[in-house]
Parts: sequence; C-alpha cells; structure tokens
Amino acid sequence: MLVGIKNASKLTGISIIACCAVLICTMFVNFYFDVRLIENEITSELSMIFYHAQVSTVKVVCLVSGGCMLLTAVVMLLFYIKHYIDTHKKELGILKALGYSNLKIAKSFWVFGISAFIGTAIGYAGAFLIMPRFYALQNEDKLLPEIAINFHPSILFYFVLLPTVCFSALSVCYAWYKLKKPVLLLLKDHLQTAAKTPHHRIEKNRELPFVEDLKRNTLKSKKALVFFIIFASFCFSAMTQMSFSMKDLSSEMMGVMMLVIGLVLAFTTLFLAITTVISGNTKTIAMMRVFGYSQKECCRAILGGYRPMSYIGFVIGTGYQYGLLRLMVDIVFKDFEDVPVYKFDVPVMLVSLVCFITIYEILMYVYSEKIKKISVKEIMIE
Amino acid sequence: MIKAEDIIKSYGNGESRFQVLKGISLDIEDNDFVVILGASGSGKSTFLNIISGLERPDSGKVFYDGKDITALSDNEVTSFRKENVGFIFQQYYLLPNMSVDQNVKMGADLADNKDYKTIIEAVGLGEKLHKYPSELSGGEQQRVSIARALAKRPKVLFLDEPTGALDEQTGRQILDYICKLQKEYDFTIILVTHNLNIAKMADTVIKMNSGKISEIYTNETKKTAYEIGW
Repeated sequence: MLVGIKNASKLTGISIIACCAVLICTMFVNFYFDVRLIENEITSELSMIFYHAQVSTVKVVCLVSGGCMLLTAVVMLLFYIKHYIDTHKKELGILKALGYSNLKIAKSFWVFGISAFIGTAIGYAGAFLIMPRFYALQNEDKLLPEIAINFHPSILFYFVLLPTVCFSALSVCYAWYKLKKPVLLLLKDHLQTAAKTPHHRIEKNRELPFVEDLKRNTLKSKKALVFFIIFASFCFSAMTQMSFSMKDLSSEMMGVMMLVIGLVLAFTTLFLAITTVISGNTKTIAMMRVFGYSQKECCRAILGGYRPMSYIGFVIGTGYQYGLLRLMVDIVFKDFEDVPVYKFDVPVMLVSLVCFITIYEILMYVYSEKIKKISVKEIMIE
Repeated sequence: MIKAEDIIKSYGNGESRFQVLKGISLDIEDNDFVVILGASGSGKSTFLNIISGLERPDSGKVFYDGKDITALSDNEVTSFRKENVGFIFQQYYLLPNMSVDQNVKMGADLADNKDYKTIIEAVGLGEKLHKYPSELSGGEQQRVSIARALAKRPKVLFLDEPTGALDEQTGRQILDYICKLQKEYDFTIILVTHNLNIAKMADTVIKMNSGKISEIYTNETKKTAYEIGW
C-alpha cells in the first residue's frame, strides 16, 4: 500500500467534524423518524402544532448544521490530499518514473476514507447514548404521546456507510486528478510553479516592507487555510452565542451540546490550520531567523495575516446564529403562542468576543513560542 | 576582527558522541577573503555555523571586535546576525513564492537599505526583478541569494559551498561577482569549500582536517575566478 493507515490517522480533524455532524444529524433524524410513527396518535391541535414545529426544527438543524459540517469535512479532505501530494511529491514522482500509473497510486488513497468512518461511527454510537435524554427533553411538556427509540437501518447507511464510501471515492478521484502532472514536475522542486502575483500587483506591493509582503504571500499561498481559520472562529462565535441566546427557545441540554460541539470544532480546526501554517513555513521562518529577523517579526509575517480573517469569521458566525434563531422563531415556531420574543443578545456577543480574543491571543502566543524553538539549522536539513 | 578561541563542538550522546571540532583557535582580519578548505566531515561547515552565530559551541569563545557572541542570549545573537553577517548557501534557499525583488528585500529591509536595486543590477538581474525562483536558472538563483545577502550590508559574508550546485562556467561567474562586490562594498568573506582551486582566490587559506586546523597560509598572488582550475 502506497498510502498507509498511518497517513490516514493524521486526518483527525475530519474524524472530529464527521463525528459532530453525525452525532447531531443522527439524533435529530432518528427522532424525526420516530416522531412520525406517532403522528396518527396526536389528537389535540396544540400537540399537532408542536409536532410540526419539531419536524421543522429537525429539517433546519440537519440541513444547516449537517450541510455546513459536511462541506467543511470535504474541503479539509481535499486540502489534506493536496498537502500530502505536495509534501510527498518526490516519492510519488519516483513511483511514476518507475512505471506506476496515476490510478494505481491514487487507489491507495482510499484509506483516507477511514477517517470519515471512524468519525461517523463514533458520532452514530454517541448519538444513541444521548438519545434517551434527548427524546425526554424534546417532549418535556408531554404534548406528544410517548416516543420510543427505534433503530433505523437507513440512518446507519446514509450517515456511516455512505459517507465512508463517498470520502474514499472522493480521495481516490482527487488524488488521481492531482497526480496528473509530468514526472519531472514532481521530482524537481525548482520546477514547481510558485503562486504568482500578477506584475501590476507586484508594482503596487513594491513599497511594502518585506514582512508585510510575506504576510500577504503566506495568506495567498494556502487559501484553504484561510477558510479553516474563518470556519474555526465562525464555529466559536455561532455556537457559543447560540447556546446562550437560545436558552428560552430550547432545552439546557441542547445549549450545552451546542457549546461543546462549537468549541471542539473551533479548536480542532484552528489547531490543524495553524500547525499546517507553521510546518509549511518552517524553512521560511528558519531563513528569516538566519538573517536576523526577530521572533516577533517572524510571527507577524507567518501568523499575523490570519488575525483579520478570524475576526471576519467571528462576525459571520454572529450573523449566522442570529439569522438561524430568527428563522426558527419566525418560521418554525410561528404558530406557537408562548414563544418568547427573540432579540439579538448584545451582552452574550460581547462576552463571546472577549473570550474569543483571549483564547485566540493565548494560542498565538503558544505558537509564537513554537516558532522561537525552530532551529536556524532547520534551513540546512534537506 | 574575528577571533575564535579554543572552539570545541560534539554531536550525539553516550557512545555515539562524536567530537566534530577539537579546539580551534584563529584570527580573521577585517575585509580579508578567507577560504576554509577541507574534505567532507572535516568540521568546516560546523565551524562556519559557530563563528557566524548560527550555532553555539560546547566550549570556547568567538569575538567580533572584542565582543563575545557566545555569551549573548538567543535574541541578542539574532540581533547580532541582523547587524553584522550575511549568508550564502549551496542550495540558495530563496523563498519560492516571492519574486527576485521581494527575496532581495528580505535582506534590504533589515538594514533599511532603500537602494537595494543597485545590487540586483550589480549581479546582472535588473531585468528579472519580477521573476520567481522557479523561473530562474541555478546560477541566477545563486546571484539572487548573493544580492539578498549583500542588500543587508553585512560586515562579514559567510558562504557555504556557494558553487557546489553549479556548473563550471556559472560557478566561475558567481565567484567573480563575489570578488568584485567585495571590492565595491568592503566586507570580510569567509568561504567554506572542498575545492582546492577556489582556495587560490583567497587572501588566507585555512585547511581543516578531522576537526582541527592543519595549516594556515596566505596567498602571495591571488588568482581570479577565470584563472583558477576547476
């Protein structure tokens, strides 16, 4: 096998995102299937309104949360495969030079689908562990008849088996597409085409100091990482604010669950993104240190560009959570009489922002210490 | 003036510990062209790393105009490198996503050198300011690394096998550039090589063998890059 299980094990980010997505979706969809079984037993009008509200909630939560996390997991998978091919291009080039076909090499990338299987399987099992408590809370006011937990094989198929197969297939196809390069381009570093700035932009950037120039270049060279940083702060912002803002609209358990999932997603994505940024720029940092750039300047050049992106993510997350809750109140619970008035919660937003800035800056400090430890001799290790 | 005093350096632990430098002492005058000559494994690159402040010795001292750089903190050594030294490596180590202009600016900004383009012109790359390293030949890439090192106006230029990855013609051209630029900008050159012929271009030659200096001599008549054998 050209790509081993060990390589796939590095895709923990995908496993965690898949786990969170499947955990939420399994709980809600299983509830949806089970609640539909008791539809005929509902007699009162109020119960029927509550039933429809529950069904609509399931659809909104699964589509918005599941869809968002699925998209992120796919982007992360593609990013990892590209990163793997970029960092192993010499070995892959040798294999191609020896006569291995693109497809034969690409086939071994199916193991990347294992990360999806691990995540979805844990998420699926976790959902069944939480489900009794979740069902009880969904029907806390006993407006609906007793809802029994049933096993639905289709959920196992759609949320565990199908994602595994799709992620494996996607890995093979994308790897095959990325491997369609001439052997020499893979074998020789200097033949790699750099991310080029158009000449008119270079003219404009000419007056920029080197550190600012490098900061822009670092951002441009790996656009997927910008996405992950925005996604991480988006998760933090949306989930923390939503978990506190919706306390009047939903159960406490839902709030805690949302908070935990938000923090796990945010930290996992941020950790993976920044680790990749630093590992991908080790030689640049080492060269800067050789020339006499300070640790602070190295951090500013390599990590500084991501700070505005993280704040953009926070703003999008704030807008998203407000929009989603507004949607739920205005559409899902529109027929309810006692639904509390929902307003944008400024204090929660401010607390969330302060926490976000504090955590982000602590993380940046930790990583700047990591940068400090990069040996200037790193430049001589080929 | 650079002064090294009894430099000792070992690598590894326990039984696999290996002493690379076994007590090296020497003096290097300002604006001298010094070649450190030795076979692979003689310790010449390790010595270069130590006297340039890239690495610390196990024992011994390195003085620059009387200031001991081995006693400085990491931040102080970084600041020392910023103000005093330039590097040229065999593998160039240019930043791949940055143009010739941007790569040279890396060195120029440290010395607040706004006039760095004259150095790019001096190494013959004035027409290739906006090219990327992947669009340049090996010799051109090495010339960019020369311009980058000189743009920070170093007092000492360290070169580790600068022609090791180049063909004869390009190698001669690079050495010729370095000699011409030394005359123009006044700096000390410390060049590490295993090529005996390059030593004929130097003022002072230091021969190293098994972690020790085996011989130091000065060339009565220096040769140019185009007069030496290859």
